[in-house]
Amino acid sequence: MNNITQELQKQAKKLLEDQVVQLVIGYGYGSDPFHVTPVFIRNPDHVENLIWNPFCVNNLTKYLTEYKYLPGKIAVVIKGCDSRSINRLIQDNQIERDKIVLLGIPCSGILEVDKIALKTGYRLEIIEFGEQDKEYTLHTSKGSFNFNKKDSLIDKCYHCNNHNPVVFDILLGSKVEENSSTNKYTEIEKLEKLTVEEKSKFWDQYFSRCIRCYACRNVCTACTCQECIFNVAKPSWVERINNLSNNTSFHLIRAFHVAGRCVDCGECDRVCPVNIPLRHLNRKILKDLQELYNAPIPGADNNTVPALGCFVSEDPEEFM
Amino acid sequence: MQNKILKKDRIAGFLDHLAASHNLIAPVSEDKAFTVFKKVLSAAEVDLNFTNTLIPPKNYFFPAAEKLFAFSTNGGDIIIEEPQRSEVSVIFGIRPCDIKSLSLLDPVFYGAFPDTYYSSKRENTLLIGLSCREVLPTCFCKAFGTHPTDGVGADLMLTDLGNYYLVEILTAKGSSLLERNTGFFSDETTDSAVLEKELLKDKLSADFIRKPDLSGVKQILDKVFEHPYWGELAAKCIGCGICTFVCPTCHCFNMIDTSRPDASGSRYRCHDSCMFPGFTKMAGGHNPRPTKVERVRNRFMHKLKYHLDRYNLEGCTGCGRCIAKCPVNIDISQIITNIREVVKDD
Repeated sequence: MNNITQELQKQAKKLLEDQVVQLVIGYGYGSDPFHVTPVFIRNPDHVENLIWNPFCVNNLTKYLTEYKYLPGKIAVVIKGCDSRSINRLIQDNQIERDKIVLLGIPCSGILEVDKIALKTGYRLEIIEFGEQDKEYTLHTSKGSFNFNKKDSLIDKCYHCNNHNPVVFDILLGSKVEENSSTNKYTEIEKLEKLTVEEKSKFWDQYFSRCIRCYACRNVCTACTCQECIFNVAKPSWVERINNLSNNTSFHLIRAFHVAGRCVDCGECDRVCPVNIPLRHLNRKILKDLQELYNAPIPGADNNTVPALGCFVSEDPEEFM
Repeated sequence: MQNKILKKDRIAGFLDHLAASHNLIAPVSEDKAFTVFKKVLSAAEVDLNFTNTLIPPKNYFFPAAEKLFAFSTNGGDIIIEEPQRSEVSVIFGIRPCDIKSLSLLDPVFYGAFPDTYYSSKRENTLLIGLSCREVLPTCFCKAFGTHPTDGVGADLMLTDLGNYYLVEILTAKGSSLLERNTGFFSDETTDSAVLEKELLKDKLSADFIRKPDLSGVKQILDKVFEHPYWGELAAKCIGCGICTFVCPTCHCFNMIDTSRPDASGSRYRCHDSCMFPGFTKMAGGHNPRPTKVERVRNRFMHKLKYHLDRYNLEGCTGCGRCIAKCPVNIDISQIITNIREVVKDD
């Protein structure tokens, strides 16, 4: 068992035993070596189900709003990227800071399952993982495998702004080095250079394949509406009929609705079953927010008021 | 019936010919993460190296959105426009799990009120199956009594054996398609090819990582409608529709009417998902499945119990799509295995 897992279980046990919290939301072993699954622990004797490894990709803060009315507090395991969601949820009054205990984990990147499995296959059990400066080592029932962080991580981790949680109560493990380069939007700049026709072709190809499963919405920590317009049949703001025009409306409305609130955790992009690069939409808006309002990534700190949630007389108003 | 051989260098010609003479539906890879069965006009569009498509071929027979009719007015007359009758079609490359899925869907759409939108396509379509070359880590079709080279339900079954395909003729429809395209096939003896296929079957059968045991699972589910296990599963579910929309056997739909001020409009049906809160919401606001617990339970009950209750057929084929795509790793093969333990603990 790695140090972080050990410490996580110890802290979770103590929080539950001392009745500081009623529930711990964390990661547990999934149904194959490279997937984890969210676990909900209420009994201090069950904390051995909590784990940490470089496959813990889910942003678990999404579940917090479901337990808003649970008597007592909730502990949740968060990485750096997820921690921005916490600040946002608090700013939007979706959860009270006093209601939650944050088990923060410094994370130097999540491994890309396909790349790992290509090298190891699925017929193994992961016994332990080790982390060095430049690589992860997976100790498995089939021997040890090393993976260079430079080319084994999921895409979002290469441009990570917060390897360490920006808000936490208990930090598990020691802080890791942050990226020296600031947030780069190279892929967005490339898209911006396309002509209108080219942009349309690019997005039409993706939007036309959308199956309207709403996974991108359901997994999003900025999506907190009790009633979503995409669920309302009358009036029918966007038809349920699956076609390019309705799908385009869905994705653009969604992107604009989370503008200024999206923390760029990348979950929408990860869960999309048809591989629509949804993060491009969100990051185009993040880039604009940065350029127009000098706004940091939402949730990066708890003091900055959301760019679109406040009025400053110096705001650019070319459209007026 | 007699088998044939289709040499690899003739496959493109055969597909081109099929595309010219039929509405040909075949696997197309738009990018490495998105493969789908769709209409192709030439062999060049077809991806012959696909494992399985993300979107099941079910969607040809039961599209995600399907126009049922349109109406308009002309003076005082109402004009009803019905969709065109389905063309004579061939689905090329359908995998054993998906061939089986159609046999599980048939009794649903051919019930007391046969669904002509489904049946006209089903009856006008010839299925050319293609044996798997690889068992994916999420596959578990063997648990449902089929296997990666099983052609049952197809009209022709192709198996890639290196330099050629073994072509098994399984129905009269398949036989007559071959008769119309004899030039592409060779009549040489197929004994060694049949033997090779058996070897491939044995090899692939040993490759399954997921081997859930279904025996007794339905009997357990008959008794566990109320069980905390469903709550445990539902806690992690995010309530999206991925599992139902990539499923080759899910068949629920919603009807949607659209109309315009000029008194024209249309009626559609669209895939619906029992994972959505609105799925069971009734007029007046009552919802018999008000939380994720009832909805998640319904999905697995439907796959592993209700379909058996109604048709004596499993509701799942073990294709593994929902396992591969679930954002929170809810895994039906694991549920089949766990349900026994869960009940034992009581």
